Amino acid sequence: MARAVSTQRKALVTVVAWVIGIVIFFPILWTILTSFKTEAEAIASPPSFLFFDWTTENYGEVQARSDYFRHFWNSVIISVGSTVLGLIIAVPAAWAMAFVPGKRTKDVLMWMLSTKMLPPVGVLIPIYLLFRDTGLLDTRIGLVGVLTLINLPIIVWMLYTYFKEIPGEILEACRMDGAMLKEEILYILTPMAVPGIASTLLLNVILAWNEAFWTLNLTAAKAAPLTAFIASYSSPEGLFYAKLSAASTMAIAPILILGWFSQKQLVRGLTFGAVK
Amino acid sequence: MATQHSRAAARLMISPAVLLLLAWMIVPLAMTLYFSTLRYNLLMPGANPFVGWENYHYFLTDPAFTTALVNTLLLVGGVLVITVVGGILLGLLLDQPFWGQGIVRILVIAPFFVMPTVSALVWKNMFMNPVNGLFAYLFKAVGLQPFDFLAQAPLASIILIVSWQWLPFATLILLTALQSLDSEQLEAAEMDGAGFFSKFFFIMLPHLARAITVVILIQTIFLLSIFAEILVTTNGGPGLASTNLTYLVYAQSLLQFDVGLGSAGGIVAVILANIVAIFLMRMIGKNLDA
Repeated sequence: MARAVSTQRKALVTVVAWVIGIVIFFPILWTILTSFKTEAEAIASPPSFLFFDWTTENYGEVQARSDYFRHFWNSVIISVGSTVLGLIIAVPAAWAMAFVPGKRTKDVLMWMLSTKMLPPVGVLIPIYLLFRDTGLLDTRIGLVGVLTLINLPIIVWMLYTYFKEIPGEILEACRMDGAMLKEEILYILTPMAVPGIASTLLLNVILAWNEAFWTLNLTAAKAAPLTAFIASYSSPEGLFYAKLSAASTMAIAPILILGWFSQKQLVRGLTFGAVK
Repeated sequence: MATQHSRAAARLMISPAVLLLLAWMIVPLAMTLYFSTLRYNLLMPGANPFVGWENYHYFLTDPAFTTALVNTLLLVGGVLVITVVGGILLGLLLDQPFWGQGIVRILVIAPFFVMPTVSALVWKNMFMNPVNGLFAYLFKAVGLQPFDFLAQAPLASIILIVSWQWLPFATLILLTALQSLDSEQLEAAEMDGAGFFSKFFFIMLPHLARAITVVILIQTIFLLSIFAEILVTTNGGPGLASTNLTYLVYAQSLLQFDVGLGSAGGIVAVILANIVAIFLMRMIGKNLDA
């Protein structure tokens, strides 16, 4: 197993890996640093890296000017709402496919994956017009609905791969003992399924939080989540780097932290269980 | 054993998900198909006469379509090449033992969690801006003229931004796959005198085939519909230089209000995505069964 590795080699790999890691992370680091500078320092040449007067006034100003918390709240409702709704629909489906597989279960799963390949522009116009005519445009409920449907295939797939790992013998054993379906679900399956459901929840909140096609096209002001909040900085205001950085930092921080916790689940979730 | 009873229950449990997805696929798609045969502009109210293939003819013969198609393929292809090759190299590197592995992993994964509008804006303003961007400063520092990335090479710049977002994904998956490689196999190969390259090409690469397939499949799904990065950085320009199919359809329908033409474009995008999907499903089907 463990192969002898010379210390020199390990030191070399350490240096190279750290340099590459920092280069990849640098845009995020730079954004966070710039968010604590004054506007003048943010565009100073040569740029100052750590030695500047740290200030937090940008954060206050971003909140005052474009109401960060309202957008943040919209993002929370839309991403959590669509994920929970998706789970309510997907848990029974995935449960049935994992424990009572029929002849066509595999085809149904593949078909669900294929709905994910429908490019959103193919249905943009009807959805936009339907939303306009039913008053759903720029509402949180409308976005929750769309994002639920968009992420439903991923939620079903993820849950399916988790449920598949729950040994069927346990179910048979408790059925022999005379457990009813309700008891089977409540006492046997739920405890075993909770970790899988939790990681599905986490990953889908992340995906919904960052979704930027429907959230940009179907919202204007009232229901705009953080993706649209940031997009509004794209023209003239974008020239205020420190404020742009503060807004960006606030938009990505919650999900960055969630994401780091979920990195293990990320792989299997996004590969539909094909890579673990 | 599954009984008749549980079969029926199972069908009942699956049906909401299936029906919803079916409705989500069929209703809007049928409407798009219908709109695409009408002369229908939101700015010109009144009758929307049936025009048959006219919108398709117009969309497909418009030079903008060819440009957008080429841009779409370049964008998807470019990002795939960069992230898959980069992901393999990074995966190989991070698979080695070194100090601080956990922290470096976190640093490398981070860009994946940054929302597209943020990464596009940060790259556009703070790095690629020809006056105040960090790249401009670095160029000047070594005595070069600052380069206006998004004006001079818009598509390449967007490929760079999108690659930065997706490299972590490819790296993470390929690294996970590499870690499941049996080290005894590698040791046996070493004993037989295999060098790094023969180990890489004859043991590691075949082992990674499945993971690479998955990376290509999933990234292609997302990359075909890149939108926010283009909207925020270049608005598809200058001219059409960074317009992909998604952005072209968006521009025609929601900016020029031409529902008929936009719908025809949407259908064309669906057909093209399906061609890609058939290839990919065949590939993944082969790899998944193994």
